[in-house]
Amino acid sequence: MRKDLVFGMAGSGGDGIVSAGDSLLQAASAEGYHGVMTKSFGSQIRGGESSCRVRISTDPVLNPGGNLDVAVALNWEDFLKFGAELPVAGTTVVIYEAATGVAENQIPLVGVTPLQVIAVPIAAMAKETAGTERAKNTVVLGLIAGWFGIGGEAVMKGISKKLAKKSQELVEANQKAFDSGVAFAKSHPLKADMTIVPSASKGAVKLLTDGNDMCAAAAIFAGCQFFGGYPITPSTEIMQFFTNHVWKYGGAVLQAEDEIAGIGAAVGASFAGKKAMTATSGPGLSLKSEMMGLASIAELPLVIVDVQRGGPSTGLPTKTEQSDLFAAAFSAHGDVIRPVLAPTSVADIFRTTVEAFNIAEYYQTPVIILSDQEIASRKETLDPIDTSQFKIIDRLKPTGSDLQDYKRFKQTENHISPISHPGMLGGTYLASGIEHVESGAPTNSGSVHARMNDKRIKKLDPLKDRKDLFEITGNPDAPLALVAWGSVAGVCREALQMAREQGLDVKLMVPYLLYPVAEQTYRDFFVSVQKGLVVEQSHLAQTFKVLRMHLDLPKGLQSLARSGANPFLPGEIVAALHQLLAELQRSHEGKLQPQE
Amino acid sequence: MSATCEFQAKDFKSDLKPIWCPGCGDYSVVQGIYRALAAIGRAPHEVAFISGIGCSSRIPGYTTAYGFNTVHGRALPIAQGIKLANPDLLVLAAGGDGDGFSIGGGHIAHLIRRNIDITYIVMDNQIYGLTKGQLSPTSQKGRTTCTSPYGSLENPVNPLLYVLAYGAGFVAQASPTDLAGMAATLEEAIRYPGFAFVNVQSPCVTYGEEAQQIKGLKAISESLAAIGHDPADRLAAMDLAQHYGSKMHLGVFYKNPEPPPTYDALIRERQAQLSQGAPPKERILDLFIKK
Repeated sequence: MRKDLVFGMAGSGGDGIVSAGDSLLQAASAEGYHGVMTKSFGSQIRGGESSCRVRISTDPVLNPGGNLDVAVALNWEDFLKFGAELPVAGTTVVIYEAATGVAENQIPLVGVTPLQVIAVPIAAMAKETAGTERAKNTVVLGLIAGWFGIGGEAVMKGISKKLAKKSQELVEANQKAFDSGVAFAKSHPLKADMTIVPSASKGAVKLLTDGNDMCAAAAIFAGCQFFGGYPITPSTEIMQFFTNHVWKYGGAVLQAEDEIAGIGAAVGASFAGKKAMTATSGPGLSLKSEMMGLASIAELPLVIVDVQRGGPSTGLPTKTEQSDLFAAAFSAHGDVIRPVLAPTSVADIFRTTVEAFNIAEYYQTPVIILSDQEIASRKETLDPIDTSQFKIIDRLKPTGSDLQDYKRFKQTENHISPISHPGMLGGTYLASGIEHVESGAPTNSGSVHARMNDKRIKKLDPLKDRKDLFEITGNPDAPLALVAWGSVAGVCREALQMAREQGLDVKLMVPYLLYPVAEQTYRDFFVSVQKGLVVEQSHLAQTFKVLRMHLDLPKGLQSLARSGANPFLPGEIVAALHQLLAELQRSHEGKLQPQE
Repeated sequence: MSATCEFQAKDFKSDLKPIWCPGCGDYSVVQGIYRALAAIGRAPHEVAFISGIGCSSRIPGYTTAYGFNTVHGRALPIAQGIKLANPDLLVLAAGGDGDGFSIGGGHIAHLIRRNIDITYIVMDNQIYGLTKGQLSPTSQKGRTTCTSPYGSLENPVNPLLYVLAYGAGFVAQASPTDLAGMAATLEEAIRYPGFAFVNVQSPCVTYGEEAQQIKGLKAISESLAAIGHDPADRLAAMDLAQHYGSKMHLGVFYKNPEPPPTYDALIRERQAQLSQGAPPKERILDLFIKK
């Protein structure tokens, strides 16, 4: 029996692959398992290829997993388009549509001999039982229930609930399709037992959601009352969540005419005194950069979510990458620093988003949340989050004495000035993108400009001392180290576990605060490090370079960086660590040679 | 809502000294705005005055309202965010012809179709002033400027026709040749419940053409009221708007006699409707519970 299974399924758009994955994950969640589902598409609506991977485990799941345990191909052409996203290995059971006419010993996988290959007449079974090939995905779910012992009743309960709205006949037809899958599996046993261990936490309350919905929910929890945005993959669901829910809390949402108007409306709402947010992806972030500069100089709180996808330009719109760090940290004219935060999972995007609002409000600054396509659209099962442990921070309002002779941009000890908003008697001022004196009046003075730049930049310094924005695991004195953020952090967490099980002395740093760079925190982390890897999905190794720009890195620290969208595999990182250790040992051997 | 005390024009005048050239039309516009706001009676702190970039966009700073001098062409998106975040505010937006009809031209249509209750004042001087005299979207064809040394090859945008075509509920034109009329027009625009547009001819004394100066404007001015135009007649308004550039009609071109509900009002309705029985936001994650 297995504690953990990774399913990868691919077919043509419309085959219902993603909806099958959804059903499987929901059923697993209902049965008390932990799970993650990621989806991957070509950039199309219907037709083309679509895939999902579902990882189900009795333990909390840190990432979507490495090589597939189970591969389901409804046709080979589409399956192969996903290449390294759905890696088949010698441990994989491959299930595929028999109607493709490919012999079991001739499946088109180069250099791999799977554990077992089974051709199943999926379409024919669907047609025969449900009367339509559209029930193919239900047959697949039946096969999974039969072979791997997961999802049986719960899957059909979920499907029935969905289909009951359409017709009872449809429910019955799908039940038959499902049963035919189970029966096929029972009559064709697998060579190895791959059933999953029953979950110990059956019946426990679990949440099931994706990163975008969680981000939007967290924003509303943090008090966000305005969202302005423009549809762009893979961020759009954030706006959609707002359009569903924010009204209930007295808020409003605007689907603007373009990215600039979207962030502009959010800047306006913030000026009007409300917590505001916008969300976008790379191309939209480029368009929003002038407004981010405006919010910086006008000292207005604002949260900008950038759900990264492959770039530049339209790039890989439906696939993940970590290549917007430069853009997030630096895309502005003038001297400006804006905090950049990154979540690593659906669970912690809640905390990251609340934190982003708190930082934006406290420091009166735009803050970027660098999410990525994988976190944004992957579904995770989560344990309930105790929201009462979160503190909500609101911007500093002027008191009666401040309003006697109100100076909006007053120099204070911590460089943070009380902020009024329209409607507040005594607080009127001119906000502007033009440099201004303490009252807000425009100025051309170089010395005032220098002082104001200093105020805007220095006020963010305390952020760098926030140790709670960094996660460090493993032996603190380890000579080997990993640094990773965003969705790649999840892969590195698993790599760390594997490496430690294999006897490697290694530690991992996951920064939630990417910018400004917390120099001292990194220095402290690097003290013991002789060899290490900064792992990231960026061809230019943007994280490695940003770190190098801000501090002296240990000589042995290297970059493990590549373009998206192909995911890093935990095993690959462990292999790289072994390599580093070997190099380290060689260099020590040299030193230990007896001197002649 | 509105304050009970009476306001005078001077209550809206700030201590900042305008950077405008002596004789600039914008001086008149700001006077008109002071008068209109005084007549409306809302206190300065209940007014949010938003602008883009350019000579004219400095105008919020010369008032005692909450002002926001933003980025080029984006006064309207920011103004609408303010209005949607707090519909109680009186929101004005202002800018020049370049700001509004070139870089920001894409936003006007959308504010109009949303019908957000904002008054948008364009100070139209048919030139880029602050960057020292380049061609603007309302410059006449054939005009020589430093970026059209052999004469412009482009037809100008007709601001009046532009907003009328998109369906604005209130469209008017004013001129410093008639300050009282301008103040009255601005007041009527602010009172209009919905998106209101006022094109103000604002002579540029430094880079403007002679025909654009006060004398020239007087010569081509014609009061819409005096010629018996019915502001409820949208087609007649469009017909008159065609004269932009050759004739300057002053007053209200079009005022929807039956103003539809504004976007901000509809938002309030929706908020009231959907907030009934909503779970507290501390429980928002319950949405993700799967049983």
